[in-house]
Amino acid sequence: MQLLNITLVAGPPGAGKTTWIRQQINSAAESSVYLSLGSGNTPIDATYLAAEIPGLIVLAGEQLTDFLAHPIAGCAVYLELGFHIDLASLILPDKMADCRRVAVLPPGTRQTEWHGWADLVVTGAEIGAGLSQPHLWRSALPGQVLDSASLNTVWYELTQGAYGTVQRAKGIFDVADGRSLYFDFVAGLAEPTYLELDLPRWLNGRPDRFSGIEVVGEAFDQETLAQTLKDCCLEEQAIAYYQQQIRDSLEPGDEAV
Amino acid sequence: MKLAVMSCIHGNYEALNAVLSDIDDQNADKIYCLGDLVGYGPHPNAVVEMIRALNIPTCQGCWDEDIVEGLNSCECSYPSVLAERRGKLAHDWTNQVIHPEVREFLAQLPLSLRDDNLCFVHGSPHNQHEYLMPEVDAFVAMERVLATGADVLFCGHTHVPYVRSLDAGHLQIQVKLTGKSEPQDTSFSAPLKRIVNAGSVGEPRHGRPNATYVIYDNDTDQITLREVEYDYQKTCAAILENGLPPIFAWRLARGMEFAERADDPTHVCER
Ligand SMILES: [Zn+2]
Ligand SMILES: [Zn+2]
Repeated sequence: MQLLNITLVAGPPGAGKTTWIRQQINSAAESSVYLSLGSGNTPIDATYLAAEIPGLIVLAGEQLTDFLAHPIAGCAVYLELGFHIDLASLILPDKMADCRRVAVLPPGTRQTEWHGWADLVVTGAEIGAGLSQPHLWRSALPGQVLDSASLNTVWYELTQGAYGTVQRAKGIFDVADGRSLYFDFVAGLAEPTYLELDLPRWLNGRPDRFSGIEVVGEAFDQETLAQTLKDCCLEEQAIAYYQQQIRDSLEPGDEAV
Repeated sequence: MKLAVMSCIHGNYEALNAVLSDIDDQNADKIYCLGDLVGYGPHPNAVVEMIRALNIPTCQGCWDEDIVEGLNSCECSYPSVLAERRGKLAHDWTNQVIHPEVREFLAQLPLSLRDDNLCFVHGSPHNQHEYLMPEVDAFVAMERVLATGADVLFCGHTHVPYVRSLDAGHLQIQVKLTGKSEPQDTSFSAPLKRIVNAGSVGEPRHGRPNATYVIYDNDTDQITLREVEYDYQKTCAAILENGLPPIFAWRLARGMEFAERADDPTHVCER
């Protein structure tokens, strides 16, 4: 029987699980498979990695059983566990019994359930004070196109605490000029950053690709944030207008959908 | 004589009170107000009543005009879709609570005021919606002052105070006179002109919640920008109590009003 090279990666939000996985994949010679467990209908990390790493095979959580039955030979598999998944009650398929367990933890973390669980502890990023009652809020934004000035405003407000305490926020948003932007924030880190995903500009109606947001916070006013995000979205007519403008300004050969 | 000039109170009664008492402490002889008495803040009626009671000469601001004429400025005057939607919420709320006599008062406000060599406007002499940003082209800035015939132009609307001296304003204009084949250079020097922006009493956007206004001493020609602390938490509480969006309070507490600034700061809406 073929031994599967599977690495399970766990850790608190913002410690750098996805970043660590990205480093492993980038430095590996073999091809890699990525799968995120517990990300539901907001596969932000999976979308980010798929866009940023050419050749990476990204699977949805429900494809795991199939994959284990018919694995791709000779590739490294990274399985990222959402921070909210309870490690003690996590039941792994038999085929994964001997997989490698890695915990990515902020510096100075000691004696956590991750330590007992992991074969290897990797020191990740500082994540600031933990929350006593962390609350996870997620929202997919299917087909939505945001005005980028509005998006910058709401992201600033969100990360500065206008909607409650935020420890971690990340999102992928389609904006008016057709780009897909990845936003990333961890409390205590210097600057919230955003990155333009390496995807073709979507200039043909409402985008048919993933966009959405995930926030880990406390005393968090999710209704107001949801409404504010809605208020950043463009209406049909405006989307068509901006897309036409961008199409007119593109050089032949520029990649667009 | 010492003049106090203030602008953009935006229904913030606490801030207005603090500024009025600071003006008292500064022994100003006269007060001018550059408009935007209402909008965003929770006390539009009280602010207007105070201005009326004190007989403060006031010109009409962009928000005052919108409350009288209805909101029909073009969307390009907002920096974002979100700012436009929030601006509309503020407008609708103000429009609902404003008393009829307050609306009448706002309607009869003049677009500009003159006092000797001083001119007072809300945005620019051309329009109360035009932004005279501190970085606006010197030629444009000089043109706006010369259009008034005054030496000092007081304006508001940007919510960030500044003083700009237009030194040795030397303008060169090429004129092609009919009947002559060669264009003729006509140049003239304008004496020192100044633009003074009073900032905002009730919705600052300089990164602190404090109110700003200016004192002008026309004997010494000295201009002082004043920054006044006040109990902004009271205004924030009133914003929440009155059902205005909580984000207004959050931004007020941080001096982060987002003015409806167009990409082109001198852009004027086609109304
Ligand atoms: Zn104003
Ligand atoms: Zn104004």
